[in-house]
Amino acid sequence: MRKFVGAVCMLLLVCSARSQSKVFKQVGDEISSTMKVITQDDALVGYLVFTKLEKASEDSFNYKISIMDENLNDIGTVNFREENLTLQAVSFDQDVLCLGYLKSSLIDKVMKNRKTYNAEAERAKHAVVVQFLGLDGKQIKLSQVRVEPKTEMWGNLDGTKESHVSLKEPIQLKNIPQRGFACFYGDENGNKLLAYNLSGEQMWKKNISSAKGFAMLTSGTNIYLLSKQQTDMIEGGYQVNGYGFADSVTFDKCPLRDKQGNQLKVLSFTNDPVTGNPVITGNIINADRAGKVVTIRNVTQGPYSGVYTIALNGPKKADWEQTFTYWNDGSLEPAISERGRYTDNNAYCRFSSAFRDFQGNTYFVGTPVTKRIKWGSIASSVILAPMVFVSPFILASGVEKFKLENAMLLKQNNKGALSFDNTIPCNSTKFAVGRVPLSELYSKSFYNINNAANKSNFLIVDDEKDIVIYNVNNKKVVRTVPHQAGKVSTNIFPAKEGYVMVQEYNKRDKYMKLSIEAL
Amino acid sequence: MHPLILKVFMNCSSQNLRSILLRPTLFLIVLLLVSFTKAQAQSKELYSYQDLSHIYYSKQKDSLQKNWTCPQVYQNKETQKKYKEFWDSRTDFITNAIMGKNFVHDKEVYDYVNSIIAQIVTGNKKQLPIQPMLLIDRSSSVNAYAIGGNIIAVNLGLLSFADTREEIAFAIAHELSHNILNHADNAIKEKAEWLTSDAYKQSVNAVLDSKYERYSRLKKVLEGYSFNRSKHQRYHESDADSLAVVLLKNSNIAFNPSFFLKLDSADMQYKQPLQNPLKKYLAAYNLPFDDVWAQKRTRGLSTHNYSFKDTTVMADSLKTHPDCIVRYKALLSEATPNAMITPLPTAIKEKATKMLIWNLFDNQDLTACLYRVLQQKDKGATDEWYDMMTYTIFSGLYYSDKQLSRFNAISIMPKEEISKDYYALQTMLEQMPRETLEQYCKDLNGKSFWQSQTADARAFKSLLYTLNFGNEAEDDKGKGAIAKLFTANNINSMYCEFADHFKK
Repeated sequence: MRKFVGAVCMLLLVCSARSQSKVFKQVGDEISSTMKVITQDDALVGYLVFTKLEKASEDSFNYKISIMDENLNDIGTVNFREENLTLQAVSFDQDVLCLGYLKSSLIDKVMKNRKTYNAEAERAKHAVVVQFLGLDGKQIKLSQVRVEPKTEMWGNLDGTKESHVSLKEPIQLKNIPQRGFACFYGDENGNKLLAYNLSGEQMWKKNISSAKGFAMLTSGTNIYLLSKQQTDMIEGGYQVNGYGFADSVTFDKCPLRDKQGNQLKVLSFTNDPVTGNPVITGNIINADRAGKVVTIRNVTQGPYSGVYTIALNGPKKADWEQTFTYWNDGSLEPAISERGRYTDNNAYCRFSSAFRDFQGNTYFVGTPVTKRIKWGSIASSVILAPMVFVSPFILASGVEKFKLENAMLLKQNNKGALSFDNTIPCNSTKFAVGRVPLSELYSKSFYNINNAANKSNFLIVDDEKDIVIYNVNNKKVVRTVPHQAGKVSTNIFPAKEGYVMVQEYNKRDKYMKLSIEAL
Repeated sequence: MHPLILKVFMNCSSQNLRSILLRPTLFLIVLLLVSFTKAQAQSKELYSYQDLSHIYYSKQKDSLQKNWTCPQVYQNKETQKKYKEFWDSRTDFITNAIMGKNFVHDKEVYDYVNSIIAQIVTGNKKQLPIQPMLLIDRSSSVNAYAIGGNIIAVNLGLLSFADTREEIAFAIAHELSHNILNHADNAIKEKAEWLTSDAYKQSVNAVLDSKYERYSRLKKVLEGYSFNRSKHQRYHESDADSLAVVLLKNSNIAFNPSFFLKLDSADMQYKQPLQNPLKKYLAAYNLPFDDVWAQKRTRGLSTHNYSFKDTTVMADSLKTHPDCIVRYKALLSEATPNAMITPLPTAIKEKATKMLIWNLFDNQDLTACLYRVLQQKDKGATDEWYDMMTYTIFSGLYYSDKQLSRFNAISIMPKEEISKDYYALQTMLEQMPRETLEQYCKDLNGKSFWQSQTADARAFKSLLYTLNFGNEAEDDKGKGAIAKLFTANNINSMYCEFADHFKK
């Protein structure tokens, strides 16, 4: 990829004369690239750059796929010609690369006017294309399924019209170890789940009921779909459906509710690092609070009753292991109050992620909300109380102030016992009044990195100013990397197992450095 | 202690030491012996910091910038402008390389190579009226190059690879031939002429005439030029080979075409296996080793057997040099009969190897650096300088790891390009735990081989140790201060180059 980029740059830099520059610029403008990670069993095994090189004919383009290993070393390229494609998903198994594309003549097409757009839209054909490539660069199979995506016409400032095409549910691809691939997508006609073997032959196709959103996960020879239905509970409405890869048999449906019928909010839907079985974790929604958390104050009003972990250890309900832990019944006082306040850090926590370690524990991670009394407001309102016009304005903003602080970890063991695990020093926001929406405050991102070789877990907290790398086993911050240090800006992303990719961009010298580092 | 000194003291054991030292003659002998012992115990420095090109060739760089001006050759303004652009970029290349410390003027190595050039010049006064400017390039690649302007560069990699004076002489004669035949100057003229020609402009502009396959058309135009250039360049290489043989004959230097066959393996440095498992090299320092470190744990694509059609391998049409076997056969008949071959002095070869090893370290190519150290040990090298470099490499790796840059310091290479042993070493450097790396640095820091090192090498050891473990090196300011202190106290040391990275 680096050599290809270099070649393109050479192409663009050879000639300095104005007319030739125009040629190079125009040719360069027609080239576009997308980079995707190649995953196998949810582990990163390589990288792929999909480049649209040029228009080859009225309805086809020349493409180039550049493949890199997990260390960013180039290992090969594949060139082919096809109609207009956008790459949406990549997976890998048994030396077979599986790529999922949306094909449509209307993808990002610029047309003269609405009339032309309507004519093009009328005759356009769309398909989901699944391409199977060997590690010798040869195409094993190209499978196509006709679809009806959503098409939109956007107006440009120069009066032209631009068409955009999208699937209701973008393509998701997952490998089934040593057997093939599962593909899920949704268009205007419904949702489809397809199974392919390693030769690229479609084994079966299933219609899936509609929902607000889907996430697919594979485990052994099973395929699982987490879907979100429309319900009164904004954060609830989830269910999991499972299917056998070999024979498409449908497993018992798993609606996400506790034994009292309370809906569950999903924080994570992943494979257990030890068993490989799907595990769903999250919060138990407190029905009395309508399960709606919009403002900072909402976090402190007990929107959740507790946490849960559900391990789908088999296709039958009897195989599932469900662990619910409640605090709203006061059973965890004084450590955790009925409203979910933690004594250890005197804060309420808005959990945004969860993960499993190698010992069967579930860690819930989130940003605590600290509440303080605005003594100044109270004092002012008391002093100014005789002046009726003034004091309500002061009190209208509330007598409490809130801020989001360091990240915190809550641990649920395999017996359901909860314990405050640790606070991770991060960036704090300023104090804000309670009615400020959470969306207006910077929210930390969390992701975990497992290393199966030494059974270690790391948590990466991507905060506003810093990236904090925390060793969960040792309960220690391993590194704190500033996002900005002088002219260098740094970001960290997941990479191959047990590693992260460190991206540094030097604004002054205009170069980017990538490295894959162990945690 | 030197045996002679021991003998002297043993013979005089019954006498008072003071009475011995008061005897002038005996005292002088003892003093001389002690000095000799001390000198023998300490390694000699390779070169001084001031021998690096940014200092040593500073005046030459200024002179090149000022005086190596583009001649007025073309009436056509556009072509002349393009020609000047390429001329200036060539000047910039060499002046930037000088300022970038790409070259070194080590007197011993320089004089040796320069003597070969002098011999060729003496034998070929007509073709070489002026002694060329020689630059010793610190690169590890087996190469020499001429860029025109009577300048020739010889890589340390070539000096490390070659076995005989005649091999180096041929490489030099070949490059001098390029200069004599004006290949470099003609090449930039041809490029300027082509890029400003009507034919080229038309072919480029014609790309936009088509609605389709514009990238392919543009690529074809440029590949057409590259193909022609490569073809000419191959002819130039053959011409340079032929003229080189003439230059050597005129200088009474033997020519042996089997050097071409040896040259075929020049890129295989890291495909050569080691003689021992990695464990054994580390055991010599009592360093712990776990086989697991050298075994790739990843499930990544690098561990799979891929066999894409390698588009990175050049098609024959684009090769700039004829194949080595072709060159060998073409000149087989020109071999000097009963040739007197002069082995390359061991001191020169070893010095060149050490200099390029240090350069690999300073360029953060640590796997290659350590592999070369181990290869030297395989050849029987016992110089404790290599032990010092082992400490230096692990310290550098530990430092890079702390900066979240271990990956870049290792420079991971694909398995097809390296030996199994190199792959194992690379994997080990990637996967060995941080705590073990720390232990290596601390253990090696206290080894006895430091006693034989020069004072500045020991100071360099302390600099590395402080950067890794000292409180004063917690931020960039602290590191800069330590680096400046090292430079101030070791102003001539070659290791100041490393300190330069922290002073910026």
